[in-house]
Amino acid sequence: MKRAAVVGGALALMLGATASRAQDTIIFGVSVPLSGAAASWGIGTDWAAQQAAKDINAAGGIKMGGKSYKVEVRSVDNKYTAGDGAKTAETLISRDKVKIFTQSVGTAPVKAIQSLTERENVLLFTSAWGRTVKGKDFPLTFTIINTPDEVLKPIYSTVKQRHAQAKTVVLLNPNDASGQDTAKDSRRFWEELGIKVVGSHFFERSTTEFQPIATKIAADKSDILDMSATPPANAGSILKELSVLGWKGVKVIGAGTGADVLVRTAGADADGTYMGLAADFDGPSATPKQRELNAGAKKALNESLNVIHMGGYDGVMAAKAGIEAAGAIDAKKIAEVLPKTIFDISYGKTTFGSKDIYGTPQQMLIPIVVTQIQGGKAVEVVRILPDELKKRLGQ
Amino acid sequence: MELLAQLLANTLQIGAVYVLFALGLTLIFGVMKVVNFAHGEFFSLAALIVAASMPLLPAAFPSWLNYLVALAAAIAAVAVLGAIIYRIGFERYLRDLVGSFILSVGLILLLQGIMTEIFTASPRPVDAIVTGNVTVLGARITAQRLLIMALALLFTGLLYVVLQRTRLGKALRAASEDREAAMLQGIRYRTISLYGWLIGVSMAGLAGALMAPLSPIQPAIGADYLIKAFIIIIVGGLGSIPGAIVGGLLVAAIESVCGFYFDLTIATIFMFVLVMAFLLVRPQGLMGHVER
Repeated sequence: MKRAAVVGGALALMLGATASRAQDTIIFGVSVPLSGAAASWGIGTDWAAQQAAKDINAAGGIKMGGKSYKVEVRSVDNKYTAGDGAKTAETLISRDKVKIFTQSVGTAPVKAIQSLTERENVLLFTSAWGRTVKGKDFPLTFTIINTPDEVLKPIYSTVKQRHAQAKTVVLLNPNDASGQDTAKDSRRFWEELGIKVVGSHFFERSTTEFQPIATKIAADKSDILDMSATPPANAGSILKELSVLGWKGVKVIGAGTGADVLVRTAGADADGTYMGLAADFDGPSATPKQRELNAGAKKALNESLNVIHMGGYDGVMAAKAGIEAAGAIDAKKIAEVLPKTIFDISYGKTTFGSKDIYGTPQQMLIPIVVTQIQGGKAVEVVRILPDELKKRLGQ
Repeated sequence: MELLAQLLANTLQIGAVYVLFALGLTLIFGVMKVVNFAHGEFFSLAALIVAASMPLLPAAFPSWLNYLVALAAAIAAVAVLGAIIYRIGFERYLRDLVGSFILSVGLILLLQGIMTEIFTASPRPVDAIVTGNVTVLGARITAQRLLIMALALLFTGLLYVVLQRTRLGKALRAASEDREAAMLQGIRYRTISLYGWLIGVSMAGLAGALMAPLSPIQPAIGADYLIKAFIIIIVGGLGSIPGAIVGGLLVAAIESVCGFYFDLTIATIFMFVLVMAFLLVRPQGLMGHVER
């Protein structure tokens, strides 16, 4: 009898503790690759998201209905595949009762996650690069990094301006949803600029030997190579192989993140490469918050943050702003107020917009930065603050 | 002519590492009759050790010397880990395909997790050991690739000599062909299995260590090689050493030629079609034996 009372008391205490924790804590979900070849994107993203939660909690939490809530971020491994993406959605929504995914990486897993989040009234922030993840069919999905429509035109225009003699381009992308979507966008934007696309090749993400593809690219004899959505380590290997084959064209990575990985892999062969998503978070244009986060990541993870990682931080901040503006954790209400709200992220003040492009304001408005590798370092060559953001901020 | 020479050079460059990796896998299958699905993790571990230790070695020493030290350390580490895993796990599942399958799949998850924790998932490039390019019959190849190919050829030859000419090699081949008959001749099967396993995982480690200067290394890199190795040993013949060599070069040729004329995805599909054709028409592969 006594033992039953003790067990019952302990259970009651546990349940009480859980209930009170559930009342005071908002759990955000993050679906990223934490294992496999794309794990470096997920590990950095998770780290940045945890820093955002720490910052919010240190500042008193999220204010809703006259009460403060602590934030907890739970990251689940989507292995960069659609199947595991669906599993992460199931786990976070059913088990953890998550109402907001503050970051999700990979077009294939994100498309799988969307099939559940849109149906279950769950808000999804993503860095998925493909255009097909947003629009009126996905009203609860918001992209928090620049995507092809924001990045490709400025970077390609810069290349055309600086290399007027270049008339042809060959495209190279990973053979998955991100790569296929990007190849279509790249082709469209290059052709709009009057550059002829003489080849569009794909490779599997697990590829480790790039001589065959490099031989093929060299045989295309194009003026420009655009490795659009190719990860920096793979792009570095290809540049090394192309250098052996004597290829000397203009090198572009439209969706290029991680300049340091590219330089470490390709060495001097990376010089001159234009990149669309390789903002230097250590450089003079970075905000103090970005510099602080980058220094912390170098210490904790032994690597610099890239644009996708930074999305981990910004997604949590966007979720906080949305909840506080809506006064509720309701995806539909938050989706409605977010584009009307100006809030702080690692880049400074922002909001969601680009209704003219996507039909709905689902794109986070952040600076577009085109960099070029010069002497082993990413040097900013063009920085554009979106006109819509300038207008909204009254600049 | 130049293009043909380039495609041939690509085949030999790619094939050199494939052959070494597949030799280890086929040797383990031949002797122990287990399929080691964790073979790629030994490859990754050695490559990661080389990539992580090279920057720590004295910069005053020549790169090739530092590389040889890192390579020796990597193979030693793989052999020690291999011995521990054999004693704890595989020794209990000799000639047990189901048990060893479950064990090796579990090992993939365990070793991948540990490697990601220790080395991080970020790709690690290794600085060039030797610099410069060489042109042979119009085909351009880096001096580094040439050195790696020479080393791969040397080690493949060494393994071949060990298997053909030494008592250990004869015992390994005997255990591989007929375990009972080998035991009747006084060969201690468990001891020979351990040696076969250690040589096999060391070959995987060697392939990984040789690959490290050629491609950025991260913990999942072994997975691609494992798939290729299965294709190689099915085409070449399960348990056959010459089959692994022929199969390795064939797979590399498909990757090189199909990758150029079509693309790498078509090349991979073609390899799988080839595997299916072999399983249907000649399941013992090009050089394997029919088990009755």
